[in-house]
Amino acid sequence: MTVAVSAPAALGDALAAIVGGGHLTAAPSQLAAAAVDGVIPRWLAWPGSMDDVSRLITVASAEGLAVAPRGSGSALDLGAPPARLDLVLDLSRLTDILDYVPADMVATVQAGVTLEALSRELGKHGQMLALDPYGGATRTVGGVLATNASGSRRFRYGTGRDLLLGARFVQADGTVTWGGSKVVKSVTGYDIPKLLTGSLGTLGIVVEATLRLHPVQPASGSWLFSFTSREAAGALVASVLASSLEPDRLAWLNAAALGRAGQDPAPAAVAVSVASVAEAVTSQGALLDSMASRMGAHVSTLDEGFWTRMGGALTAATVVKIASEIRRLPFWVAEIERATARHGLSVTVVGEAGNGIFRAAAEGSVSPESWAREIIAPLRETLAAEGGSLVVERAPLGLKRAADVWGPVPETAFAVMKRLKAEFDPRGTLNPGRFVGGL
Amino acid sequence: MELNPALLSELERILGPKGVVATQEGRMAYECDMLTFYKGAPDVVVLPETTEQVVELVRFCRREHVALVPRGSGTGLIGGAMAPVGGVMVSLTRMNRILELDFPNRCATVQPGLINLWLSQATREHGYYFAPDPSSQMVSSIGGNASTNAGGPHCLKYGITVNHVLGLEVVTGSGEILAVGGKTHDHPGYDLTGALVGGEGTLGLLTAITVRLLHVPAGVKTLLASFSAIDDASEAVSAIVAAGIVPAALEMIDETFVRAINEGVGAGYPKGAGAVLLIELDGPDAEIEAQARRIVQICRDHAALEIRVAQDEAERALLWKGRKEAAGVVGRMSPSWILQDAVVPRSRLPEIMREVQAIGARHRLVIANVFHAGDGNLHPMILYNDLEPGEVERAMAASDELLRACLVMGGSVTGEHGVGLDKASSMPLQFAAADLNFMARFRRVFDPDGIMNPGKLLPSHPACGEGFRPRVPRVPAGTWV
Repeated sequence: MTVAVSAPAALGDALAAIVGGGHLTAAPSQLAAAAVDGVIPRWLAWPGSMDDVSRLITVASAEGLAVAPRGSGSALDLGAPPARLDLVLDLSRLTDILDYVPADMVATVQAGVTLEALSRELGKHGQMLALDPYGGATRTVGGVLATNASGSRRFRYGTGRDLLLGARFVQADGTVTWGGSKVVKSVTGYDIPKLLTGSLGTLGIVVEATLRLHPVQPASGSWLFSFTSREAAGALVASVLASSLEPDRLAWLNAAALGRAGQDPAPAAVAVSVASVAEAVTSQGALLDSMASRMGAHVSTLDEGFWTRMGGALTAATVVKIASEIRRLPFWVAEIERATARHGLSVTVVGEAGNGIFRAAAEGSVSPESWAREIIAPLRETLAAEGGSLVVERAPLGLKRAADVWGPVPETAFAVMKRLKAEFDPRGTLNPGRFVGGL
Repeated sequence: MELNPALLSELERILGPKGVVATQEGRMAYECDMLTFYKGAPDVVVLPETTEQVVELVRFCRREHVALVPRGSGTGLIGGAMAPVGGVMVSLTRMNRILELDFPNRCATVQPGLINLWLSQATREHGYYFAPDPSSQMVSSIGGNASTNAGGPHCLKYGITVNHVLGLEVVTGSGEILAVGGKTHDHPGYDLTGALVGGEGTLGLLTAITVRLLHVPAGVKTLLASFSAIDDASEAVSAIVAAGIVPAALEMIDETFVRAINEGVGAGYPKGAGAVLLIELDGPDAEIEAQARRIVQICRDHAALEIRVAQDEAERALLWKGRKEAAGVVGRMSPSWILQDAVVPRSRLPEIMREVQAIGARHRLVIANVFHAGDGNLHPMILYNDLEPGEVERAMAASDELLRACLVMGGSVTGEHGVGLDKASSMPLQFAAADLNFMARFRRVFDPDGIMNPGKLLPSHPACGEGFRPRVPRVPAGTWV
């Protein structure tokens, strides 16, 4: 395989010719702002169509350039520092809703549509895309899918894996490819959208997504159950899970998170929302109330804005995400609170209690080496015993260099992932170095 | 494959003498799945009991360049679990244990041969169940369900099999044991679990499956609404969905089937109805009560003749019995039939139902319909008499037109049965060459030598199938749809 290397100026012209001069920049200030983990690209492009993306990638691939796609840019912290970076592909101009038939409860949209804009359009018809990543309204559909971002609603509706029906994507050589279907039920061929969801654009860049939608329920209610101990909060979660209650959110908050979300302090709390017809919201709320009160909870009613405030509580320079067995979540919250406290850090914890997932945002100063060796490594070791994982979702560069942000992937599974990357991106065009194991 | 004594004795060494079936009559029992249209007996059938045996088997077949065809209960409808080019069929029926029930983590790990319904039976007393419910669930295996990414009536609300698979142990075509996913969520790396489900045995053999268990809903409400015209019923389906109600199931039964089911099963569906909707709601009682009231109103607005609400579990079971055993009564109507499985966007339901009738009229054939209306998943059954000259050809032409009509409306060539051998050649109708090429390369990553279920899922072997068609296509009575 030969890689043509053109003179930088000629290459810049070739890229500019694809998107139009106004949509490509090599201005140092703009490039500095587009850096990924401190690695500054040579160009920043704003493609205006699927065809633009395809042609840009075709040139990049032929010239041996490394490309990092981005949506709103809010999740660029996710991943290891890039091995190489030449071209940042900003998809924020791709904002069309291409096809939306409300009666089908399916929409096909371009990758740059923000959740906010989509939600406005769907809301007119009483529908929604049930993806609510923290701080996510301004995030783009493409970015949310590429990072497999999710929020509290996943308890009821699942994640991008469950909601992405079909995808039109650009392969590493520029080939436009379609996977999946535009209907809610299809088993025609391999489920390529599953492969792309959460792949950080390393196998292909999703440019159009066909999404499964849900009806917005006519009524909803939210409650906060605060406890004097983690164990008691954990017992409520276990009871809800073992009941026929059908909440759509089941969130865990520690003391710091409660404070940041504007609630009274308590060692641990569970926030629950129910969405249904009004009668069922009332009756489920009453059941929850009596269940939690028996367990010693302090009960308060929440407004809908709480959920946005809760997501906003996770702002810190370092955020880690832990996935454990569902029943072990209280244990792992305690573990990370203890491990970080030993180093003088304080953590804000917000979690999806029904899925065994939580995030901890850490404040305070500790050396990257201590973080990596004394906090992350021991937690990972014990988490591995139950098949859990710890991913550093956001961190200063020092910590990203000291600790593998993704953590280990089992050997045989990683061997397959490596073969997939080698098959679909042999030249390392797409986001090289940023995904698991340096893929 | 030339099944020489040396190969056979090696298989016997791996699996034990009781794990190998090599007799002519033994092999013939495995020559097809429930789509008997395609026949191809394997050269030998093996019945492993452990993952280690499966690993040794795959490595042996890889070394000897022998095709492997996985098989669960053999209830598939796509010519998937049959051996068009011979080779070794791997029947997983002996690997049928529940390995672990873990209620606090809402999951179970099972072997592939476990019958779908057995898992719900084992968990229901604890308040849980396994949601995917293909009509074959009393006989089909969870390994088969995961391999074909099976659906069922209740996937309207709960999603298809892949939405309920958390992890897999797979022996890939290269003979490695690959453990992906598991009890915990969001494993770093590519979602191999999601991408392997629906692989139809072309990527590897599933040896263990971790599935999500759901809590049994607080209440269930089953309604039956009859209409004089199928058009009204189709419009009612659209109106229910448009009202923001996602029932657990929303099934349509047309006039031909209503008659046959009443005669065959005695389900007591309203006589003379042009179409019947079977609607099931589940969830908190207050929710399903309110939704049921709304649905009754919608059905009335769409000129429903009669609306029944099951008053107890026995009535509910009777309403469902007719639906679940629908395919079994087809034999009363016609000696032979072709079953289609295709999808349209649900808003196109009234339109496609008119088209189905038009196609039937054009080919002078009756097309009977019982299907998952809520998600636009059609199962037209084209009835014909194989003794009448030219009817087979007309039926096949009608079947092909149906598929194309669905695709023109933006649909899919299979909603829940899968591709197998039957629809491998239809894949280019739905996918461009680049899309199929991507899938073929994906396949090769798991099966570098092309030994896993060759000829299935992708149109890589266009000749396959042609040579295996019996003179008369036939689907047996008792098939599940």
